[in-house]
Amino acid sequence: MTPSGDDTAAFTRIFEQHRHAVHAYFLGRVADPELAADLLQEAFLRVWRRLSEVEARSGDQQRAWIFTVARNLAIDSYRAGATRRATEASLRQAAATGETTVPGPHLAAEHAERLAQLDAAIAELPEEQRVILSMATAGGLTSRQIGEALGEPAGTVRYRLSQARKQLAAALDLEDEP
Amino acid sequence: MTGPRRPDLDDLLATWARARRLPDAEADRILLAIVPAVPAPSMTWWAEFNDKLSSVITRATAAPLPAFADPW
Repeated sequence: MTPSGDDTAAFTRIFEQHRHAVHAYFLGRVADPELAADLLQEAFLRVWRRLSEVEARSGDQQRAWIFTVARNLAIDSYRAGATRRATEASLRQAAATGETTVPGPHLAAEHAERLAQLDAAIAELPEEQRVILSMATAGGLTSRQIGEALGEPAGTVRYRLSQARKQLAAALDLEDEP
Repeated sequence: MTGPRRPDLDDLLATWARARRLPDAEADRILLAIVPAVPAPSMTWWAEFNDKLSSVITRATAAPLPAFADPW
């Protein structure tokens, strides 16, 4: 394919609009940032190859198209065993990498420790809850958007999100106030 | 007096999400890996362009210049 400047601009717009959500989906599925980035690249490579088809769709339809590709890629990757190995490795060494936002050394240290606990608790969630939680928090999607992307009712998404939050709150001994 | 608020689940999840998001530098790398650079004009195009330019210059310098004549 010989790209034009217009193709590049259109693709860049689509990439910027959906990359966080798609990456969050892969992160929830595979729990390994490196593999998630590889799968993200493969998903958008397919967008690039079918750019005219994708570009002609509305934003929601674009997301649906991209997530169909993403789900297939995740299944293929899982079947290939790479995802399973990466997930298991990640679950074994779940550790926090988050920055702290709370002032004061004692609270900062406590915050980091809480993040490590949160990371480990998220790794323990059932996969369908982990994916939805990742898409809602890191991907910035609403329950409706997640439902459309995954082909599930928004009510199911909200229920799973609520279950995930309850499990995390229990693991961290926190009050959950959705 | 109360001290700084202890982080709740939303605070922790927000921090977790920021830490897990794809870094912009990694996104740029992926974008560049997918989209090949828009190709420069081919050598044939440049050759044709130079030929046309040369012929225009030749015609312009060989022809008389009535527009430069004194209008008065």
